[in-house]
Amino acid sequence: MPRIELTHITKKFGKFVAVDDLNMVIDDRSFVTLLGPSGCGKTTTLRMIAGLETPTEGIITINDKVVFSSEDGIDVPPDKRDVGFLFQNYALWPHMTVYKNIAFGLENLKWPKDKIKERVEELLSMLKISEFSHRYPSELSGGQQQRVAIARTLATGPKVLFMDEPLSNLDAKLRMEMRSELKRLHRETDSTFVYVTHDQLEAMTLSSMVCLMKNGYMQQYAPPLEVYRKPANTFTADFVGSPNINLVDGTVRSTSPLVLQLSEQVSLCFSSNSPIAVTEGQAITLGLRPEHIGLADDAQAMAQAEIVSSLPSGMETIIALDMDGKRLHSVVFGDLDFEVGKQVGLSFAHGLFNLFDKESGNNLGQGKLSKA
Amino acid sequence: MSAKSKLNQVKAFFRKPHNIILVVLLVVLGYLTLVPLFTIVFDTISVHSSEVRFVKKPAGSLTLYHWTKMFASGVTSQKTFYEPFINTMVVAFLSCVLAILIGGFFAWTVTRTNIRAKAFISTVFVFPYIMPAWTLAMAWLNFFRNSRIGGAPGLFTVFTGIETPNWFAYGLFPIVVVQGLHYAPFAYILIGGILRNMDANLEEAAMLLHANRWQIMQKVTIPIVRPALLSTFLLVFSSTMSAFAVPAFLGSPVRFQVLTTQMFRTLNGMNPGYGYIMALVMIVIGVGILMLNQWITGRRKSYTTITGKSSNISLFNLRKARTPLTVLLVGILLMIAILPLVSFAIESFIMAPGDYSLSNFTTEFWIGLGRADIANSEPGILRNPSIWLGLTNSLKLSVIISLIAGTVGMLSGYAIAKRRGSKLSTWVNNLTFFPYLMPSMAFGAIFLSMFAVRRGFIPALYGSFWLLVIVGSVKYLPFASRSGINAMLQLSGEIEEAGTIMGVPWLKRMTHIIFPIQKTTFISGYLLPFISCMRELSLFILLVSPSTRILTTLLFQYNEKGWNQYANAINLMIVVIVVGFNLLINKLTGASIDKGIGNN
Repeated sequence: MPRIELTHITKKFGKFVAVDDLNMVIDDRSFVTLLGPSGCGKTTTLRMIAGLETPTEGIITINDKVVFSSEDGIDVPPDKRDVGFLFQNYALWPHMTVYKNIAFGLENLKWPKDKIKERVEELLSMLKISEFSHRYPSELSGGQQQRVAIARTLATGPKVLFMDEPLSNLDAKLRMEMRSELKRLHRETDSTFVYVTHDQLEAMTLSSMVCLMKNGYMQQYAPPLEVYRKPANTFTADFVGSPNINLVDGTVRSTSPLVLQLSEQVSLCFSSNSPIAVTEGQAITLGLRPEHIGLADDAQAMAQAEIVSSLPSGMETIIALDMDGKRLHSVVFGDLDFEVGKQVGLSFAHGLFNLFDKESGNNLGQGKLSKA
Repeated sequence: MSAKSKLNQVKAFFRKPHNIILVVLLVVLGYLTLVPLFTIVFDTISVHSSEVRFVKKPAGSLTLYHWTKMFASGVTSQKTFYEPFINTMVVAFLSCVLAILIGGFFAWTVTRTNIRAKAFISTVFVFPYIMPAWTLAMAWLNFFRNSRIGGAPGLFTVFTGIETPNWFAYGLFPIVVVQGLHYAPFAYILIGGILRNMDANLEEAAMLLHANRWQIMQKVTIPIVRPALLSTFLLVFSSTMSAFAVPAFLGSPVRFQVLTTQMFRTLNGMNPGYGYIMALVMIVIGVGILMLNQWITGRRKSYTTITGKSSNISLFNLRKARTPLTVLLVGILLMIAILPLVSFAIESFIMAPGDYSLSNFTTEFWIGLGRADIANSEPGILRNPSIWLGLTNSLKLSVIISLIAGTVGMLSGYAIAKRRGSKLSTWVNNLTFFPYLMPSMAFGAIFLSMFAVRRGFIPALYGSFWLLVIVGSVKYLPFASRSGINAMLQLSGEIEEAGTIMGVPWLKRMTHIIFPIQKTTFISGYLLPFISCMRELSLFILLVSPSTRILTTLLFQYNEKGWNQYANAINLMIVVIVVGFNLLINKLTGASIDKGIGNN
């Protein structure tokens, strides 16, 4: 079954290194997203697996068959890799009707005419676009074009499907709709999806594994909720979650017990579940998810802050806080509004917090916070 | 990296069709454009067999004779080089200015005012450029030639009784006017393209900020089109500089020499060495102009490429001037595009030149059997075997060249666009454009010197039809490769990749996906070489032999012999074929010559 393995994959464009020594395994039937800011090498990675781009070095295997190896000179062309590719701009052929666009790949495989008709009709109804089969791409809306592109990609029944930011050209409502549609297709087609996006929400909601990349390096490769709960470094912590995680710089005041000095007046005790290697005076960054910052009365408060703004949206309210010069965001659930300029007490009693080394950005460990 | 993986990389490289195309083009074009450059340099410092007598050295030995004679020998240099050189520069500069003024005015009027008959104006205005360059020159002579220089007076003198002065009939003035009119459509297409694509919001924003029409023009419109104007200027300059036919027709009667006519004389005569130096000088200027042009457009690209929808632009209201101006412009167009053809038709039916009375009309020159008292018993052109040979040769040559240049241009455009940014692609891109800079006659000259003898496995080609095919295909490749590159750049790479991933083989991707989508642009890439070749004179004039003569060289010969009626009849034939073919292709596919040029 299609298990994809990348070993020491490197891609250079002249002097520019797009992807650097990437190792990853994509399990059969998983839904993997390559996530990262633009220019991080995610699209290049996808195109290399599909065979549209040639890696400078490394080995790629699909289904235990080596499809690329720089050392052995193997480079299986894209069409022999049994993969499908959904392009960002759909790449529908403007001079062919919807029917022809979908049928073209099957014609190339020399399918009999009636078989092709059957398959195309099956796909048209699966994607709910039967009534458009004789239209040209330019006569369709963005969402409909998207469906045609998906149908065309699925037509030959590839076991692996690559998608390059397929939803980025759709409006917000359609995007929501297509997200659940893609999840449905993933289940129905029983194939492996590899998906490129810069939208962390898409990655979080769709995938079974997230590969976070930055400047050609893989930052973290884990299930989405693990990335959220235990980010490998400050970059992944910051990239995932909305509103963003609060990253507060500070120093280690003492090591046992571990006390963090976040500002002149705020210091917190960090009790970790496993030993943490820190030294006194070390610069650190504390990660606080907005939903883990609660408002508390004075008895339970671990710190004091002033409300700078309050953004109620009905289900929740995002509050910006000033905690002794440090800006924090907190999410409070319920239809509440807060008075700007008011002093409030903060509590960090719920949730696990991540501690990072400030210099390297790497995760040092997780723990609970209490009053120092 | 091990030797094995190096080898693997090479194998992987050549598995991509676009890499194969690039490497093949690099080798072939390198041989056909760069090698000639060296042979031409060698030709300027060697003694040719016709020069043995006055250089006093054996043929083939090295000498600086040509260079010293040309540049540092007082009156001789003055007459052979400096005077024609200055004439060339003056002609090129003035024709350019005229072309841009006329073309720019028409472009502005059509895109920015509410003038009537826009479709008619934009269609007919392109005619002078499609027609051979000497068309207007011949028409000028038909109308304004005077009896002082010899021969019969033209239509103008006959009808008004006013004898035209020499400066008006021959030399600098008519050359500038005719070349200016010939290249005005070129300027019109380039400037019109910019004006049409320019975002009207830019002008509207200025209007909302209380700028008046004049201020908008001065502060917004002109600065935005300025890089395009400069670039147009340079392109027209390099074309007018290397033009041969017009100065040959209008300048020779008063011995007004430019570099190209001088080159023809020397290459065809006793001093090929001089001719090759002149060719070299023109190539150097051409390359300089291109580099300047690339610098200008490259540096300012940021705003020449601004495009937007200018559908709702508020057109300048001409009010009362609307109808008169329309009439005026249409009148000018009829004069430069239609009237010349009428004059050819009339001239070709006249027995004794200069006499336009009805009794003097004859069909002798079209269908006559040939009479001993006129033109050495030459039969009328429809019965004349040498004209039929010329016509079939012209058509055969143009079709073959357009197929080769168009196909190679399309493939090179594909490969260049595919590997854009890589060194290989940049080299090939420059190589495919290089022939554009070579003055046609110089290009012909170097192929003559290069292939007169056997070169490796290539036999001596002088006098062969295939020599013409090679020269033409290389010379017109730039047109086709430009359209090819443009077509490919408009097409996102994903369109092809979508086919690749489905296992559509390369040839099928080209024929079933890429070509159909960009059909019109690619067909323009075939059309341009066809039309250019059909009306080309200077490129082939040094290379034809009696069995490979083509219509244009025949026309030139008849004109030199003073057989005016034949020349006029042939010209009419060429114009009808070229314009007719352009209209036909345009109707059938939507491709047109102006699309090709406009993309330059």
